[in-house]
Amino acid sequence: MLETLLPILIFSALALAALGASRRVRLWRQGRPSSVPILKGLAAMPRRYLVDLHHVVGRDKVMSNTHVATAGGFVAAAVLMILVHGLGLGSSESMGPILGGLLLAASAAMFVGSRFVARRRRNPPARLSRGPWMRLPRSLMAFSGGVFLATLPTLGLLPDDFGSGVLALMLAAVVVWGLGEMVFGMTWGGPMKHAFAGALHLAFHRRPERFSSKQGGRRSTGLKALDLDDETAPLGVGTPSDFTWNQLLGFDACVQCGRCEAVCPAFAAGQPLNPKKLIQDMVVGLSGGSDASYTGSPHPGKPVGEHYGTPYGPIVGLAGQALVDAETLWSCTTCRACVEECPMMIEHVDAIVDMRRHLTLERGQTPNKGAGVLDNLIATDNPGGFDPGSRLHWAADLNLPLMADVKQAEVLLWLGDGAFDMRNQRTLRALVKVLRVAEVEFAVLGTEERDSGDVARRLGDEATFQRLARRNIATLSKYRFQRIVTCDPHSFHVLGNEYGELAEPGIPAQYEVRHHSTFIAELYDAGRLAFAPWKGGRVTYHDPCYLGRYNGEYEAPRRVLKALGIELKEMERSGFRSRCCGGGGGAPITDIPGERRIPDMRMNDVKESGAGLVAVGCPQCTAMLEGVVDASAEVRDIAELVADALVEPPSVNATGSPREPVVKATAEEVL
Amino acid sequence: MAFDAIFEPIQIGTLTIRNRVVSTAHAEVYATDGGMTTERYVRYYAEKARGGCGLCICGGSSVVSIDSPQGWWSSVNLATDRIIPHFQNLADAVHRHGGKIMIQITHMGRRSRWDGFDWPTLLSPSGIREPVHRSTCKTIEEEEIWRIIGDFAQAARRAKEGGLDGVELSAVHQHLIDQFWSPRVNKREDQWGGSFENRMRFGMEVLKAVRAEVGDDFVVGMRICGDEFHPDGLSHDDMKQIAAYYDATGQVDFFGVIGSGCDTHNTLANVIPNMSYPPEPFLHLAAGIKAVVSVPVIHAQNIKDPNQAQRILEGGHVDLVGMTRAHIADPHLIAKIKMGQIDQIKQCVGANYCIDRQYQGLDVLCIQNAATSREYLGLPHIIEKSENPKRKVVVVGGGPGGMEAARVAAERGHDVTLFEVAEALGGQITIAAKAPNRDQIAGITRWYQLELARLNVDLRLGTRADEAALLDLRPDIVVLATGGQPFLSQRPEWGYSEESEESLVVSTWDILSGKVAPGKNVLIYDAICEFSGVSVADFLADKGAKVEIVTDDIKPGAAVGGTTFPTYYRSLYEKEVIMTSDLMLHKVYREGDGLVAVLENEYTGGLEERVVDQVVVENGVRPDEALYYALKEQSRNKGQLDLEALYAIQPQPCLGEERGEERGEERTEGGDGFLLFRLGDCTAPRNTHAAIYDALRLCKDF
Repeated sequence: MLETLLPILIFSALALAALGASRRVRLWRQGRPSSVPILKGLAAMPRRYLVDLHHVVGRDKVMSNTHVATAGGFVAAAVLMILVHGLGLGSSESMGPILGGLLLAASAAMFVGSRFVARRRRNPPARLSRGPWMRLPRSLMAFSGGVFLATLPTLGLLPDDFGSGVLALMLAAVVVWGLGEMVFGMTWGGPMKHAFAGALHLAFHRRPERFSSKQGGRRSTGLKALDLDDETAPLGVGTPSDFTWNQLLGFDACVQCGRCEAVCPAFAAGQPLNPKKLIQDMVVGLSGGSDASYTGSPHPGKPVGEHYGTPYGPIVGLAGQALVDAETLWSCTTCRACVEECPMMIEHVDAIVDMRRHLTLERGQTPNKGAGVLDNLIATDNPGGFDPGSRLHWAADLNLPLMADVKQAEVLLWLGDGAFDMRNQRTLRALVKVLRVAEVEFAVLGTEERDSGDVARRLGDEATFQRLARRNIATLSKYRFQRIVTCDPHSFHVLGNEYGELAEPGIPAQYEVRHHSTFIAELYDAGRLAFAPWKGGRVTYHDPCYLGRYNGEYEAPRRVLKALGIELKEMERSGFRSRCCGGGGGAPITDIPGERRIPDMRMNDVKESGAGLVAVGCPQCTAMLEGVVDASAEVRDIAELVADALVEPPSVNATGSPREPVVKATAEEVL
Repeated sequence: MAFDAIFEPIQIGTLTIRNRVVSTAHAEVYATDGGMTTERYVRYYAEKARGGCGLCICGGSSVVSIDSPQGWWSSVNLATDRIIPHFQNLADAVHRHGGKIMIQITHMGRRSRWDGFDWPTLLSPSGIREPVHRSTCKTIEEEEIWRIIGDFAQAARRAKEGGLDGVELSAVHQHLIDQFWSPRVNKREDQWGGSFENRMRFGMEVLKAVRAEVGDDFVVGMRICGDEFHPDGLSHDDMKQIAAYYDATGQVDFFGVIGSGCDTHNTLANVIPNMSYPPEPFLHLAAGIKAVVSVPVIHAQNIKDPNQAQRILEGGHVDLVGMTRAHIADPHLIAKIKMGQIDQIKQCVGANYCIDRQYQGLDVLCIQNAATSREYLGLPHIIEKSENPKRKVVVVGGGPGGMEAARVAAERGHDVTLFEVAEALGGQITIAAKAPNRDQIAGITRWYQLELARLNVDLRLGTRADEAALLDLRPDIVVLATGGQPFLSQRPEWGYSEESEESLVVSTWDILSGKVAPGKNVLIYDAICEFSGVSVADFLADKGAKVEIVTDDIKPGAAVGGTTFPTYYRSLYEKEVIMTSDLMLHKVYREGDGLVAVLENEYTGGLEERVVDQVVVENGVRPDEALYYALKEQSRNKGQLDLEALYAIQPQPCLGEERGEERGEERTEGGDGFLLFRLGDCTAPRNTHAAIYDALRLCKDF
């Protein structure tokens, strides 16, 4: 009986799955076009899965092994099942025992894997969704167990007539359950949807450059430019269908593991953002309906079941609630912790900024101080609305060489808008002191410099970003320099990763940009700096998001601190897992209230490390962390620590000829 | 950006100044080496530049000619090329920190003394005596005029060759240039007097000669008065005319403007307004000058607070603010604004201890900052954390000495407890602040309160420290700053008793603190002639009492400084307080409901009587030594200070002995491990500065 039943069941399931798949594809294709090399993508998919995805999953060894057993077992078992039971190769004399044996092994491996899945579901952490996901281990066991048992008679390990009784009917029922979840459910919805959507998402990912190749991978963290000249393109994303189709596909790949939720600083602060829920909101929007069936943690303070949407309806309600509330979108600090942790490689930050673009450009609804900051950027080219002519006031006694005068320099020192901030001016003065001691040939743009556009872009004002960027690009194109050095990771990121897309014929916009910590490390390695031994207490280092996760620079700041004689007390969350200070993405400007403040949590991390001083490398981080009331630790930029420790460097240069004495016509003191 | 107006750089001539804050010219009295700038001088200005000050104009009344004597106020002598290398040191020290430095140059004419050094014949346009310095002078001759014009040019050359950034020609404070300007002093009928142009001629020739000598790439400014406040002197309109006249030459790079002339005691007090004045009282005069000139205007008079400076600059009244006394109180004023430590700025309270010392020919010191002008000795403005073991330091007494001791010890990183018997910190400052228009002196206490809170000093207010309580804390160091009590028991005939019901006399503290209600008809006997006597007279008169203040000294308030006694006198005369000299309080006795004070004339021995209802005696302070003697024998150092170390700003040797000892070792009963020091009035009555200086130089090495 089973021999008859199984092929019917298998092919029915496959047929239904194919139907579901075409429906799913139609849902995705509601999105805007995006040109993706389909075949190339499909060809790249296995490597992306096996290498890049597992690089992320592999951070949790148990889960990684569980997934290898379960998913690997399933894929093998499914293929073998079609061969053995569907096409009847199991009864073939030559191949039957081999295929059957492999099928037994595959389903057994999958069964073992599903036991681990079941174990994790016993007391699941809060970040995991419940609902259908709770039945998944049983479904996995039903499939693997059912297939295993159904294969035993095929191999003669059970009597042939085993397949004709009530037992066989019961076994068929188990197999139906398994097939339903694993094959039918894969395309019609259910936990296994992630396998289908996820595989295609990897193939058609909108940032193919994120994935490693045999030449090695690179980061892809710059936001993609809006084509403001394309009159047909919407300004950002107002409805789910405004996303490109492969973004929608990406949302559908979400496995609701909640790793994003666990690392999201806004979620931890009780602000109304849970990145996992946000992705699920988009999934709801793509097929239409309400979020009532969502079974994970909600956006803090936002009960589940009150939001609904349609593919062509607004994401953020014009009046009242729709799919997502605006404050959810404005809670994001763009720290990329979610993206970094996502095993499905979903691009949360891209999606959030896309939706912010709509709110800012189409609706003019940048909340709280956002609109004022954008007005300032438009009127004064800096977010604080300061007199543009005052950008160099802090350095009146430093006699900084201006690019306009010298035309070329080895290093172009990019000041950033911290030049208007008294706290950051101390960092800048320290950095200038370091450059001078190391006898670096540098110059600044002075009042020709504009805001990099970082804040405008992350607040969704793509037009202002592009205007500022093009202006800066035009200015930079007038001068010759080997590299840009900046103490602002946001400027660093935008100049290095986001200007390139705006290059025009004859005006390139590719720059070699260095964070000051990287540059100082290079100077130290070249023997151009020497430091007095460290006398202070315990020190920890806070990785700025835009230096670390955005640009992969974790090592240089630590090398500099080590050169200073500091033995770091690392925080639990450091390196690529560093917790955001709360200062990115315009979050301090839109200022969405939560239950706690993100910088307070970060300073608490500092406190737990036992350090009395936290070294930073970002003006935003400095401002946020220094704003913490009753903090247990002092906040110093790496440049300040370096400047304080400077002693006469080894004086003889490479050629052995004495250097020209430095004319000390400029302020030595760091104020 | 907060304070953006302060931090907007400005161009003066060819020079860029990094911010709008200036330390204006004042006599430092530090050029003690025959008019050459000393290391002390250099370090004093380097500290201001290090602290962020934009422009320092040094050398108030630095002389250009040998007949304008330098020695009285140890001012800088630009009459010789010997000064040039000294200037180079000074300029380098300031430039290293990004500051700019200019010097004021002048010939003081009649405004000096002749009775010493070279015994010069002083000069002035018409030979009229100057009252403040009691100086007589000759009428200047044509040849001398041209010599002095040449001396100005040579002095400016020396400043330029020394690397300074500019010179300020003093045409203020009744120096020779404005002696020519003012019809009150210039009665000449030749080409140097009479008409406006003639009175202007000397200054104009000086300006032309200086500019010709230094060229265009060197700053030349003028400091002028905004109104002499004399009916026969230069009015504000006159000064506007003068400023516009010189400005029209295009040869002046800036004007510094000061309200008030100063050739009488009363007008002199306006020049450096003490705490009785409102903020920036003469800003309107500077603003008036700014309205008629085309170059930046600097104004300094009672600008002490960053917010005030920002407000003045933002309002566009002047281009730069002088915060000179503010920098004497805290040379790191600008740095603290930039560090976001505005609450940590030690603000000038207008006690005018600095300038009142200067008028006596003494070095300029700050009443509340003992490190100022002692940088060269190694006294720190910023106290570094100690590398020694953490100590338990107990300070007894919350007056200025005790507060400074607690602050410095806490900055050194020690565990500090401070006992104060009163409910608030301040000691005698609290009492002094009760007098009319003297409330700002409490600013000294306010700063310490903020600092001690910031430094987590354990404050035990309202708590009398006895021997047991002290030893219970197992201190490593005990600092006694317990002050003393009014010394009314010196003459039994005064009838003082500790039982207030029986005592015939009360103290100035009793009155000012409110412990004793003011009488209606009061005799104050002031044997000291400093602030307390005149303060209590002003206080009582303010409450409606009829007051006579009597002293056996020259005059009541005689020991109050030259910029402060005039404001007391203005108030006392207005309230019809009688000031009597040369009488000693012989005896007080009760007669009926009243009291009879018997006064004895110092010079005749004759007795006279006053029938009053209250006798207040100011006879200084008797040190409170009881706790000291209770602890002295138990202490490791027997309470003794090593004076050689103290005066040389070196650590007390006994600190080293203690340091060498094993810490945590079992101590014998009674905590006999502590060092004992005392400072301030509990040793001998001196003043606020003395107490703070002792505390700083002692505790900086804890």
